[in-house]
Amino acid sequence: MEKNILTSRVTGDSCIHVKHPSGLDIYICEMKGFSTVEALFGTKYGSINTMFRTSGDADYTTVPEGIAHFLEHKLFENEDCPVFELYAKTGASGNAFTSFDKTCYLFGCSKNYTDNLRILLDFVQKPYFTEENVSKEMGIIGQEIQMTNDNPEWRVFFNMLRCMYHAHPVRIDIAGTKESIAKIDAPLLYKCYDTFYNLNNMALSVAGNVSADEVLAVCDEVLRPCEDKGLETVFPDEPDSIVKPEIREKQHIGTTIFHIGYKCLPCSGEERLKKSMAGSLAAAILTDASTDMYVKLLESEVINSTFGAEVFCGDGYFTVIFSGESDEPERVREALLGETERISREGIDDRIFRRIKRSTYGLLIRELNNVDSVANLMINSHFEGVAPYDAIDILSALTADDITNFIKNELRSDRVVLSVIEKDGGSQ
Amino acid sequence: MEFKRTELGANIGFTSIIDEKFKTCSVYVRFATRLAPAEAAANSLGIGALSASNSKLRSVAELNERLSSLYGSALGTFTRKRGDIQILGLSASWICSRYSLDGEDIEGEMLDLVRDCLFSPNVQNGEFDATPFRITKNDLLDHIDAEMNNKRSYALERASETAFAGESAECPCYGTRKSAESVTAADAYAAYLRLLSTAQVEIYYVAPEPNDTAAEMFRREFAAIERHPQKFPFRAVSPAKSEPVTVTEEMDVLQCKTVLTFKSDSDDIYALRVLSAVLGETPVSKLFLSVREKLSLCYYCSSRYISSKNTLTIDSGVEKENIEAAENEILHQLDEVKSGNVTDEELENALLSMDNALAAVGDTPSSYSSWYFERFCDGTNTDPQQQAALYREVTRERVIAAARSLTLDTRYYMLCREDNA
Repeated sequence: MEKNILTSRVTGDSCIHVKHPSGLDIYICEMKGFSTVEALFGTKYGSINTMFRTSGDADYTTVPEGIAHFLEHKLFENEDCPVFELYAKTGASGNAFTSFDKTCYLFGCSKNYTDNLRILLDFVQKPYFTEENVSKEMGIIGQEIQMTNDNPEWRVFFNMLRCMYHAHPVRIDIAGTKESIAKIDAPLLYKCYDTFYNLNNMALSVAGNVSADEVLAVCDEVLRPCEDKGLETVFPDEPDSIVKPEIREKQHIGTTIFHIGYKCLPCSGEERLKKSMAGSLAAAILTDASTDMYVKLLESEVINSTFGAEVFCGDGYFTVIFSGESDEPERVREALLGETERISREGIDDRIFRRIKRSTYGLLIRELNNVDSVANLMINSHFEGVAPYDAIDILSALTADDITNFIKNELRSDRVVLSVIEKDGGSQ
Repeated sequence: MEFKRTELGANIGFTSIIDEKFKTCSVYVRFATRLAPAEAAANSLGIGALSASNSKLRSVAELNERLSSLYGSALGTFTRKRGDIQILGLSASWICSRYSLDGEDIEGEMLDLVRDCLFSPNVQNGEFDATPFRITKNDLLDHIDAEMNNKRSYALERASETAFAGESAECPCYGTRKSAESVTAADAYAAYLRLLSTAQVEIYYVAPEPNDTAAEMFRREFAAIERHPQKFPFRAVSPAKSEPVTVTEEMDVLQCKTVLTFKSDSDDIYALRVLSAVLGETPVSKLFLSVREKLSLCYYCSSRYISSKNTLTIDSGVEKENIEAAENEILHQLDEVKSGNVTDEELENALLSMDNALAAVGDTPSSYSSWYFERFCDGTNTDPQQQAALYREVTRERVIAAARSLTLDTRYYMLCREDNA
């Protein structure tokens, strides 16, 4: 097993990458002086992976919405005992999450990390689904769905995605619906597990107070070699256009919130990282508190300090989202359309570009200052198909023209969606 | 790690925490004062205005431009409630100068900025400058309105209003919307001057290398302020009502929220804290295993112990038709502890989880600052290892006694409106 040292040319930080004989990609960052350990064992399988096949399958399988998340819940149930009982013996804090494009099982601890790593690697490789335990989970996940449906931030985001994407499964809720999860049964869970929980489709990321040799020794002991089954996931054809430009919903909330999303063209690998960095800089420039647009909106009380932006992207989707609280979100949209048009025409002020680039560099340095964020950075980078420190290198190569071109080509006025959750004064 | 606390003046503490593993430096300045309905909003706005501008950077735009040019340095203010005390503060953080690309002294520039925001605010004729103040005030009003957006935290706040009725802790940490609306720029500045003069001030500097200029700057600036510090108890035990009070609120929600608040007459805060962990702070706690895993009634059912009010709160999100079943099970699990049904395993699991959390203190600058500030409020000087040892001394009998000391004080229900249920 060869240990590849990955080093940041800018900061000197480094981590280790190993391609384990079992098929698993392993990332380890020994962080001197830190007490905690954060480990994530993840699979490139999220809510968008609803259609797939392996080299042995004749046809594609289509699965119910929310099954990746359901599987995550059920994997915590071992044949012998619930996984949380195992972590309870070591004191670790175990958890898991399912996103659009991955599912990760994780623990954080400050003691006994090799024992915890053994638990983590072992239980994720040992599914145990029965009709009884699947049925039991319906009520719990049903409540999770209800809780998220009461969350206006969640609603405004998914309403936006549904108006943006015609067919891509990024438009569906990660947990599915009460109706969709009712179609899930044990054989279907095993089918998904056997397809996606193959070590060739997975990665392990461990950061903090660890020794690489100790981590690898546990991996050697616990990992069971997997044959690469030639997994293939497919997505429905997605047009470049949006579904509709605006959606509004009322909720019993105190402030009206909005998302303004630009649908951009998707891409993958290093190209996506570069585009994502350009998009992040464009978003930071457009929400920079010193610009005329921001000052006008703020001083006229159209926005408040919650106004911000982010890039949201993955396999087959790429958006830049501007969000905040406002009673007049259409004025925010109007201002953004005007500003993107102006920048497309005049270009970006080089002074602002250099300042925002420097600010972004500072944020990337901060990311390396924390055990959790380093562990997440390593696994996210792997699933994105890039190395953990590539972002800083790519940032340093970006020019003002790159950002102007991103704004001109990607933030198009015919691909904007405004999603609003309006406060409903209601009657109390 | 090197820890050193010095007194810079009357009730002004400066704690330096030097830990070479960090790539950033951070400053946290906290003002502690009594939470009073008449002053809460003005205090909050007085502190809030400090991060909108200062006498040199006179607008939100100028201040933010400066921060982003300093490699995305952060500067913000905060207000929170700790029992009957209002904690207000300013925090700032920046990457160490060794990471600057052109050799800038980020540290020096940021300490100057912190100084200007705190001690040279944007004030004319005895009031905060109108435009940045108006922006700060709008932000606060929106923030108060937005509290309803998060139904879980809103339910907990509404329960605490009833549980602590007649006590300072009844007041929302920012004051009410009505009181905030009436605060003028002059009121807010007067409130800030009052904080500078009377509040307990605790400052934390967390960095990879010592820098005496930070302490010197604060010492010099506070020396110019006439101090009349007022001390308030950080712990004010809340008495239980003679009968539990029930508050019901109907909202357009899909999931109902329940909050049960219990008051304790025991001084054994370590046992109460362990009790909360056994009951509902981990995935192997009694409430998680029974209400969620066994009965599948909810996604979360958690407990928390608030030592400053000697109160234990249990909250959950459930379907309307399951509220009674969930509440019965919560009370049953508490009765189980009261009657002695706590296994050694449950106790050990809770302690291991607490050990783990305590050992993590110090892996982020904010965890250092929060830890030592909380200990200051507790009037102790324990480090996390010493605190863990105190929890380890808690016996099963003490946990049972802690459970028996609880009296149900308040029930809060957020119900789905009928047409939503």
